[in-house]
Amino acid sequence: MAVYKVSFVVTGTDHPGAIRNQDHQPQPGERVQIGADWVEVLEALELAPQRGGFHYFHVTCRLLSTEERPDAPMSTGGR
Amino acid sequence: MNIDRIIREIELFDGLKETEVDEITAICRERRLQPGELLARQGERGDEMYIITEGFVEVLLGGRGENPPRVIVNLGPGQVTGEMALLDQGPRSATVRAVSDPTIVQTIQRQAFEALCRKNTQIGYIVLRNLALDLVFKLRHRNLVDR
Repeated sequence: MAVYKVSFVVTGTDHPGAIRNQDHQPQPGERVQIGADWVEVLEALELAPQRGGFHYFHVTCRLLSTEERPDAPMSTGGR
Repeated sequence: MNIDRIIREIELFDGLKETEVDEITAICRERRLQPGELLARQGERGDEMYIITEGFVEVLLGGRGENPPRVIVNLGPGQVTGEMALLDQGPRSATVRAVSDPTIVQTIQRQAFEALCRKNTQIGYIVLRNLALDLVFKLRHRNLVDR
């Protein structure tokens, strides 16, 4: 069992970011829902060394506009 | 997903044996919240901590005078909130509000947690060490947001 604890920092806005666990390593280009918002991962870095099954990552991301969200009407979808 | 599986995937309980996880799950109580529902209110007394197992909560600070409260972080699955009041018995340092529909948390009461830690000091050591690591991670996140 691997658990990835990820700190999301949203660039270019005053968005407070988020922390959550996920079952896979964050990857650039990935679209993620954090709270009510959707973001796209720009960069993912290991924040601290792995401990047991837990991995610690810091992600820089950008906020997706309403039209870009995977759940937007007529969207071509995200990952 | 059953509670044992959920607990095993939460960093707070990393390092516990199966029987110790069972003792933790015995003191957890599930609570479901609707978007906008408050889990904790800044300044009020609190005697519970919460583990988010589904959805997101937002943590808000301030709101005095004319300044509206501001969200300082969103916390999603696997994250802990309310732990400060559990540790120091002080007032809630922030307001915590559900964002997602549904938002599901596991609630642990201070009295039950302290009784378990007294009965099994190994559980107490591991969980309190993990709580410290979680606070470090939150501080690192905060530093990165403020950079």
